[in-house]
Amino acid sequence: MGTVLEYAWLVPVLPLVSAALIAVFGKRLPWHGSEIGIAAVGLAMLLSIAIAWQTFVTSPVEPLELAYDWAPLGGGTVLELGMLVDGLTAMMFLLVTVVSLMVHIYSREYMHGEVRFTYFYAMLSFFTFSMLLLVIANNLVQAILGWELVGLSSYLLIGFYWEDKSNQDAGNKAFLTTKFGDVGLIVGAIVLAAGMLELGSTTPFNLLELNQAAADGQLGQGTIVLGILLIFLGCMSKSGQFPLHVWLPDAMAGPTPVSALIHAATMVTAGVFLLARLFPVLAQSQTAMAVVAIVGVITLFFGGLLALVQDDIKKVLAYSTVSQLGYMIAALGVGGYTASIFHLFTHGFFKALLFLGSGSLIHAVHSNNMSDMGGLRKAMPHTFWTFVIGSLALAGFPLTAGFFSKDEILIAGDIWAGAGFATGNLVYWVGLAAAFVTSFYMARAVFLIFFGETRSHHAPHESGRWMLAPLMVLAVLSIVSGYIFSPFWTAEQNFETWTATPIIDEEATFPFADHGAEAAGSAVQGEGVLAAAPTLAAEGGELTILHGAPTWHPDLLLIVLAVFGLAVVLAWRSYGHGLPERDPTLHMGGLSTALVNKYWLDDIGYRYIVVPVRDRWSAWATWTSNVLIDGAVGGVGRATKALAVATYDVDQRVIDGGVNGVAFSAAWWSERLRRLQSGDVQRYAGALVAGVVVLVLAVALAR
Amino acid sequence: MSPLGPLLLAALLFSIGVYGVIARRNAVLVLMSVELMLNAVNINLVAFQNLLFPAELAVSGQMFALFIIGVAAAEVGVGLAIVFNLFRNRATVNVDDVDLMRW
Repeated sequence: MGTVLEYAWLVPVLPLVSAALIAVFGKRLPWHGSEIGIAAVGLAMLLSIAIAWQTFVTSPVEPLELAYDWAPLGGGTVLELGMLVDGLTAMMFLLVTVVSLMVHIYSREYMHGEVRFTYFYAMLSFFTFSMLLLVIANNLVQAILGWELVGLSSYLLIGFYWEDKSNQDAGNKAFLTTKFGDVGLIVGAIVLAAGMLELGSTTPFNLLELNQAAADGQLGQGTIVLGILLIFLGCMSKSGQFPLHVWLPDAMAGPTPVSALIHAATMVTAGVFLLARLFPVLAQSQTAMAVVAIVGVITLFFGGLLALVQDDIKKVLAYSTVSQLGYMIAALGVGGYTASIFHLFTHGFFKALLFLGSGSLIHAVHSNNMSDMGGLRKAMPHTFWTFVIGSLALAGFPLTAGFFSKDEILIAGDIWAGAGFATGNLVYWVGLAAAFVTSFYMARAVFLIFFGETRSHHAPHESGRWMLAPLMVLAVLSIVSGYIFSPFWTAEQNFETWTATPIIDEEATFPFADHGAEAAGSAVQGEGVLAAAPTLAAEGGELTILHGAPTWHPDLLLIVLAVFGLAVVLAWRSYGHGLPERDPTLHMGGLSTALVNKYWLDDIGYRYIVVPVRDRWSAWATWTSNVLIDGAVGGVGRATKALAVATYDVDQRVIDGGVNGVAFSAAWWSERLRRLQSGDVQRYAGALVAGVVVLVLAVALAR
Repeated sequence: MSPLGPLLLAALLFSIGVYGVIARRNAVLVLMSVELMLNAVNINLVAFQNLLFPAELAVSGQMFALFIIGVAAAEVGVGLAIVFNLFRNRATVNVDDVDLMRW
């Protein structure tokens, strides 16, 4: 019946139409196409709000799946094109369209006067479409389609200033690094689809069916571990997980609004989103979850450390994005499904805010470097306040959005540890340590930019209305978005019930539950700060799902506050009075050297991947292609030609000769035999008598 | 009664008929030669009836001979009509000149 959910397909279609219209008519319009983009994404946002309202507030709705058969795959199986609308989809819709609209509005002023202004808007709209296509997908192939289009948009926008070789290189690096993971993603999707085919599914790529089959324990462990880990490889590259995060800081070569939209708030969350979408599959394997958790922990800690030594404000934010994505991935690895997507949601807002804020700063001082800023508090008061709110949210200061979501992840780790899984402890303690690092580098950034004496050569000025309005909207969201999953909600109505995957519920089986049996039930629902839900927890030898709204955990709140305070005080001592002569983060001995060199990952990648590929493998590949493959193909061609000539000869001589010979011999004989028919009846009679005589003689002699 | 006489006569008549059919040029004489052959057969039929079944009153051979005489009369009627038409159209009854049905 006509709920608004059935019109969800309009959400991705609107930006697509907008992208096409901008590309065709954009240059002739008074605002060079930006009005189309803003209007289309605005409409999509209104529709997303209606969908979210329907999904969240009216009632927790069942997932709506509408699909039609797109292409037959043979053997009675089909590939679908369709949409799957549930709480997760609605949440992603909301995040993507809101951030995208803010970036569309912001770019009106930020990109004003750019040569390729219209192209930029077309690409922004196209990116929004791609991301929404991925989000709405009801099957893995459609998701991969959106995923690759997102990668394409990202590539084009990173290289937006393509006159500069380094920007082209950054685009190539992003594209090739993520492509490496995409291979894993595609193979993983095929592995899972093969598992579904074995179960007799006619739509092997369908996500709901896949999740259901996994939760029912029908898929084999081998299929699940192999499939989900290969898909996780794709998620690692897209969501900047260590060591495939190397493209993300370089991606800051793109215009700042692009960094905000793509490389902070939305695209990089695609990996987290896909893994969350497949969470029922992931939850089937302890091995896979442990791998995911460990990769997440490594990323959240070492990614955060890298932000300490950066001078470029966008690089600081890029590494903090890597770190926060690590939190989300780690949360999935410890069963914190809701915690992960909740952090994804809030992080999208405050990271977009920080990037747009940094764009405002860069606009004012014409430099990316914090060493060129300083003392901007008075000149840019609105940017200052919004940036501080974003920083507080990122650092997890109590009662901001980041506090609710990040602590949810820590609690999820704690509950997982209570269930007897060591990775839970890892997430909890390393997560806390990384929270200190986060607070420190954000405090460092805020102090270096806004306090002390101004070091800019330009007279800094506050940005205009078009740029400040999105900042303020996002600042508000950076605080209030946290409250959608806070202790103020009831157990029946909260973010968890809205977005939970109904598949992974009481009837789901977890083959590795026995491992956690000893510690079962002990630390579940401690007194603590914000209890997590729904996270997997072991109870009496069986993993169960915790439901309900979070509760206050005063002890964790105190720890977090202490960590935050310590970090800010330390940062103030070093950076509170302007740029220090001796930046302490650059004088930590070997650690600083490692950080400044980005753990030498780029050097290793250059020396052992780029150089061999370029100098040796590409030559070898060229030789293989030109000599071996072309030779083989040419040889096959020549052999075919020779065979054809021989066949022609056989045809002409033997077959045609035979046929003609039959005809000619018939003519030759008929020329002679026809003379027998002389028309002389008496000769016939004579022959007849002669024949009779011969027959009679023969019979007589035979006697 | 020895059957030799009638059989020899029949063989002689048949051979003369064959010779006439093959060798004569005149269509009328060819027809007459055919009649000779038919009558040679008639003689044979009657002779063998009496030779093989002498004591019986069966007359199968004679019946065949009567039928052949009837058929021969009809045949001569058709044959002479053809000869008449031939003479009317071509002014000849020489069979060597009538070889239209040839290659």
